[in-house]
Order: sequence, then structure tokens, then C-alpha cells
Amino acid sequence: MVKTSVSLEMQMQQALTGDKRAYADLLRDTALFLRPYLSKRLSAANDVDDLLQEILVSIHKARHTYDGQRPYKPWVFAIAHFRLQDYLRTYYADQLRSATELGELENTLPADVTNSDFSYESISGEVNQLPEKQAVILAMMHEEGYTAKEVAAKIGMKESAVKVAAFRAYKILREKLSK
Amino acid sequence: MDAMEKQIASLVADADSVQLAPSPLILWLKWMAIAVVYIVISLLVLGVRSDVWVRLHSAMFLAEMGVLVAIVATTALSASLLAYPDMYQRSRWTLIPIFMFVIFVGVIALAWQADNPSSPPPVHSYQCSLTIAVLALLPAAWMFYSMRQLASTHRRFAGGVVMLSAFSIGAVTLRLSEQTNSIIHVIEWHYLPMIGVALLGVWLGKRLLKW
Repeated sequence: MVKTSVSLEMQMQQALTGDKRAYADLLRDTALFLRPYLSKRLSAANDVDDLLQEILVSIHKARHTYDGQRPYKPWVFAIAHFRLQDYLRTYYADQLRSATELGELENTLPADVTNSDFSYESISGEVNQLPEKQAVILAMMHEEGYTAKEVAAKIGMKESAVKVAAFRAYKILREKLSK
Repeated sequence: MDAMEKQIASLVADADSVQLAPSPLILWLKWMAIAVVYIVISLLVLGVRSDVWVRLHSAMFLAEMGVLVAIVATTALSASLLAYPDMYQRSRWTLIPIFMFVIFVGVIALAWQADNPSSPPPVHSYQCSLTIAVLALLPAAWMFYSMRQLASTHRRFAGGVVMLSAFSIGAVTLRLSEQTNSIIHVIEWHYLPMIGVALLGVWLGKRLLKW
């Protein structure tokens, strides 16, 4: 059961005087109410655990800045939000670094990239589970028979972008079907 | 949960009684006291302008100095709050310097209008900005050092505000030392560089206030 805010402040005041049991209880209670906050913002459970541990370390480092005279949760959430922003910044920077430039990918695509090596009807169930744009592109190309150029004109994308989306969709489908 | 329990156990093992950080008010009062002493010592070294008493009877000069001192005070207050992760739960107070700067721009605009005919500018120019920057070094270093003992979660904003506060201390000192009545010179070489200084502070804050 999560304690009320008043108890958390008293626990912190006790912890600041060296009461280790109060400090341990406080950290456990803090982890309890921070976990749902982080779970809503991060998809992977491992990431939630890692970040939660990092936040507890930050709370430990910054505990001298909390005197128990003001509400505890805003202080904790300020630290949690700060570390979450740091984490997301690093995460998206990594994503950008590993993202392939559209132009580079276009240069490496084979000419017949829009041809698939399986029949569309047999895998339409898996296609519907793809991201919406990829599913729409494959449906237009295989159900309605449009070329990549025609699909691009219809949905307002560049032809190269349509080819890349199709290529990525086939890659995902191959991985799914090979499992 | 095992990893979490291990982490908690390790933190608890490391947790002795802690010396609490001073409240933002105490921190601010310390900074203000040091700023006053620093300005006095700087004026003893640089010398006070010979017409200081005459100028202090001028309403525009008095208003300019008053608002400049208010900028020193409010930026230091903002920095003292920004040193805490939750801004001591007084986040709106950290924005007070914005209002002071708006008032400052108004006062300077009035001073510019009142300076008619324009007073002749001094021979020197960028030397004033350099002097203010040098004067600002020690206050900036002291404030950054104080803030590193705490835990700011708005490092860029805090850095910008610290540099504005330190630069304003330098600006107050030079304004009481340099014998010029040219408001155009003062705007160009004393006050406009604050923009660059604030940006430098944003960069410094991100690096120096890590924890």
C-alpha cells in the first residue's frame, strides 16, 4: 500500500537524520509511485527499470536539497522528469544516428524492389498489422495494381519514399514469416 | 525487483545523516552580501566617477541604477531557486527577472530620449564590455560553484540567469566608475552584450551544472 504524502515527508526527514530503515522504506515507496509514471512514457519494461534505478540514485545524490518542509512528491517528480528527459534525448539521438538516410537507402535498393517473392493474398493478415502507411502502400500496389510512381502521386509522397516504405514492409514481413 | 532491492540496499548503506543545503533565501542573501562587498572593493580599485553625487541627483541615472540593481537582485533570486530540483516549488518566482528586464528596457528608452542633445561618447568602446566581463568573472565563478553543490534540473536557464546576474554586477560597478553620460555608448557597450552573455550562460549551465 502506498503511503500518503505526509508520511513520505516524515520518512524523508527521518532518513536525513540517518535513519536507514526509514530511507529504505521511502525509496521503495518512491519506486512504487514512479513506476506507473515511467511505464506510461516508456515502452520497454527494461528501460523503465533502468531509468527508475537511475532516478533513485539521483534522489540519493540530491537528498540534501529537500528539507521536509514542502511536499515530497513535486520534488521527486522534478528529478524524475529531468532524468526522463535526459533518457529520451539520448534515446532519440541514438535513433537518429542509426536511422538510414533516405537517399542512401534509395541508392542501395535493387531496381525490382517493388516486386515481392510471395503472394499478397496469402499474407494480407500480416500486412494489416504493419504500420498504416506501409499497409496502405502494399495494398495499393498489390490489390489495386498501382506502380510505385502512381502510389506516390496518389498519397502525396515521393516515389523513392514509397519504394523505401515498401522495402521496409517486405523486410518486416519476411522476418515475421520466417519465425 | 531483485536489482531494484540491491540498488536500494546499496543506497541505504551509503546514507548517513546529511547536511541540508541552505534555503534559497539564505543562498540569495549570501550572494547579495558578497556582491555588495565585491562592488565596493572593485570601486576602490577602479575609482568612483568624480561626478557620482551629481549623477545620483539625476532622476534618469537614479532610475537606471535602481533597475540595474534590481536586475542583480532578481536574477540572483531566480538562480537561487533554480539551484533546487523543484525550484523550491516557487517556479513562478524564477521568471521575475523577465519583468525587470522589460522595465529596464523602458527606463533605458526614456534615458535615450532624455539625452537630447546626445552626450558625446567616450573614445573607447569594446573596452567597456571587456571590463564588465572581467568584473563578472569572480561573481559568476562563485555562483556556479555554489549551484554545483545543489542539483539544478533547469541547467540552461540557470546558467543564463547566473551569467546575467554576474554581468549586471559588473555593469553596476562600471557605471559608477566610468565617467560617461553618453547613453548610446552605455547601451551599445554595457547593456547589449548582455544578450551574448546570457547565451554563453546557457551553454555554460548545461556543462557546469551537471550532477
